[in-house]
Amino acid sequence: MKSALIAFFSGAKAEFIQLKRSPFLIILTIIQAITFIFLVNFFGTTGAFAPTALVDYDKGVYSKKFIQNLQDAHHSFDLKFMDTKSATDAINKGNVVAIITIPKGFSEAISQGKLQTIKVVVNNIDTDMTADIKRALPSAITRFGQDLNLPGIHVEAKESDLINHDTGFIPYLMVSALVLSAFIISGILGAVAVAQEFELGTILLLVSSPVRPLIPLLGRIMTTSVISVFAMLVAVLIVVLGHGVYPVHPLEMFFALLFCIIIFGCIGAALGAAMKRTLPVASLVFGISLPLYLFSGAYEPERFDGSAIWGITHFFPIYYAVGIMEHAVLDLKVTPESVFVNFLALFGFAVLALLTAGFFLRRAVS
Amino acid sequence: MIRGILTLARLDLLSWRRNPLAVTSALIPPITMTLLLLVLSLAVIQQPVALVVKGHGEQTEKMQGIVQSDTDAYINYDFTKNLKPIDAKSAEQKLNNQQVAAIITIPADFDKKVIESKGQVNLTLNNVDIDFSDDIRRSVDRSVAVFDAPSLALEEENAVDPLKNKDQQKAYQNNPYLIHIEESDIRETDVEWLSYQIIPALVLLVLSVGLIGTALLCARDIECKTARYLVVSPQQSWALVTGRLLGGFLASIIVLIPAILLCTLTGTIHPPISHWPALAAILAATALCAAGLGAILGSILKGSRNIAMASSVIATYMYFLGGGFTTISFLPQWLRNLSSFIPMRYAIDGMRQAMFYSTLDGVAKDLTILCLTAVFAIILGSYTIRRSWSN
Repeated sequence: MKSALIAFFSGAKAEFIQLKRSPFLIILTIIQAITFIFLVNFFGTTGAFAPTALVDYDKGVYSKKFIQNLQDAHHSFDLKFMDTKSATDAINKGNVVAIITIPKGFSEAISQGKLQTIKVVVNNIDTDMTADIKRALPSAITRFGQDLNLPGIHVEAKESDLINHDTGFIPYLMVSALVLSAFIISGILGAVAVAQEFELGTILLLVSSPVRPLIPLLGRIMTTSVISVFAMLVAVLIVVLGHGVYPVHPLEMFFALLFCIIIFGCIGAALGAAMKRTLPVASLVFGISLPLYLFSGAYEPERFDGSAIWGITHFFPIYYAVGIMEHAVLDLKVTPESVFVNFLALFGFAVLALLTAGFFLRRAVS
Repeated sequence: MIRGILTLARLDLLSWRRNPLAVTSALIPPITMTLLLLVLSLAVIQQPVALVVKGHGEQTEKMQGIVQSDTDAYINYDFTKNLKPIDAKSAEQKLNNQQVAAIITIPADFDKKVIESKGQVNLTLNNVDIDFSDDIRRSVDRSVAVFDAPSLALEEENAVDPLKNKDQQKAYQNNPYLIHIEESDIRETDVEWLSYQIIPALVLLVLSVGLIGTALLCARDIECKTARYLVVSPQQSWALVTGRLLGGFLASIIVLIPAILLCTLTGTIHPPISHWPALAAILAATALCAAGLGAILGSILKGSRNIAMASSVIATYMYFLGGGFTTISFLPQWLRNLSSFIPMRYAIDGMRQAMFYSTLDGVAKDLTILCLTAVFAIILGSYTIRRSWSN
């Protein structure tokens, strides 16, 4: 037992010394983690508020009312007031998604109950945004008619929400991006720590030692996990301080991220033992991170993508981690499973990852 | 001289062939990205909702028909195209189990209330984030609008002159909201989503292979101390440097050719024949940029781990900021300004223009910027390679 403990802590110390000698690798890993926080933010900015030119030739009371309805139309428009020439320039340069033109005499016509036509020019290069605009305009028009109590309107929509507040797309994405960051940081550091033993040939020394080679390697994983915790602290601070996303249940968030770091470190170790080379293993972890992220409920509850995809995501720990994190930070329930079940699943994955790492290591050293 | 250049280029390509792990590491990011695009292209974009129809009558049926016909917005809870009404209890159960994102309910007294102009369509929404919640809200509002004003449902592509089409004329005039939309799109295109998105994946392939490949070859010479043989070689150093960059460039092209062939054979890309030279020039300039950047990276950084990580970070930033996953034009101004310094943006823009449009407007500008970047990267890369050999 004593010799095992000595081997474990020696492995941890060796990894610490190794990482101390390569601070650039740690810096790169942190940059990599922050990269995804930044890119997710970047992706999220296109999810709402389409930049739209508004040309108002009327400037009357009803055109102002209609503009207000456009601004209130479910985060659809980022209205930029322009004249026709600037608006045409802007749409041709791709600076706005659409031009909405309110004609002269709009208010007068509405006050007399006459039908008015609003011209809308759409830059239909991005179907996601143009579809939003095509749906948002009728939405603003219905609100306009209802607010003015116009005759002939027989139906209105009445909404009741499951949650008493709306959550922005970027905060939602940011929280799930933390899981991705944990995967990248811990996965790459764990994989590199193990693969390096094979690359440098030191695995032979571990095999010939009187303790099981898995023990010092676990010590190395412990060190990479500790370093990952500090790196994740940077990512968490960016989300909390940079974006003002404060966790509702901070302890739950801490444990979820800790679990993620341990699991992903073990998965990294298994990959490192299987591939035995640092170069492809780092690319592999990085390469699979984005697909795994997008199919783990990172941008909406995964079940909304259909039962088949939802079923598949259960084989990835990121799904459960995102479920816990969204609850911990934003108090949202994004998986049908409870937080306890998600934690239980993560624990199961931790054990499985450890066993897999052990299996690959045993196979590799033999 | 030429022989010296070609010899080193050939040697580098052989080193590549003998090092499948390096090839794999360069191919993993573009391959996973392509797989992701394939899956996303097959995935549905509509939101699953449950439709509950509690009453009977002409108005109820009309409202039900409007909701069911909006197949762009809604999909059934079992992911079949047609929205089928279910009972309220099952709908609630599906909402709680996250099988649906919302329940649209047409109440039992809908017909009666419509006569009193007090009809309501109830929406119960799982509003975990505004991205999809707002999509559903807009869609339900549109369905409600169409009930009283059918002209608000008209899509631009279906638009017919109201003066010529009687039904449409009636729909146009029957609009209690008093606002009619006349929509026109600024471009006509029938480009499939996958074809549009595969362009950045091809650029990522060239970038990843050129960048990682050249960087690793440069690093290997330093790590294995073979750089000293290059220094004492009778060949002029610029010829050897050119050979190294040519090796990286050729590696990108060798990987790219089967990818382009595959895309062409499957019909994913089908540019006009006259645009192929422009496309080839853009890809060649991109490969040269990647080789130059790889040379800089491989000569400055030490260790394959650091190079692999740094290459991944650089390739990721270039891919995303170059418009790999979103439309740059619609981003905030500061991001667009930042993007204008990313050479891959010009590669992606130029390739899309050459692939999907009848003219080559703007391609000359994109190509000029790419070529200038390539020249700059090659000069700087050559300098750093030569310096790393001397050290």
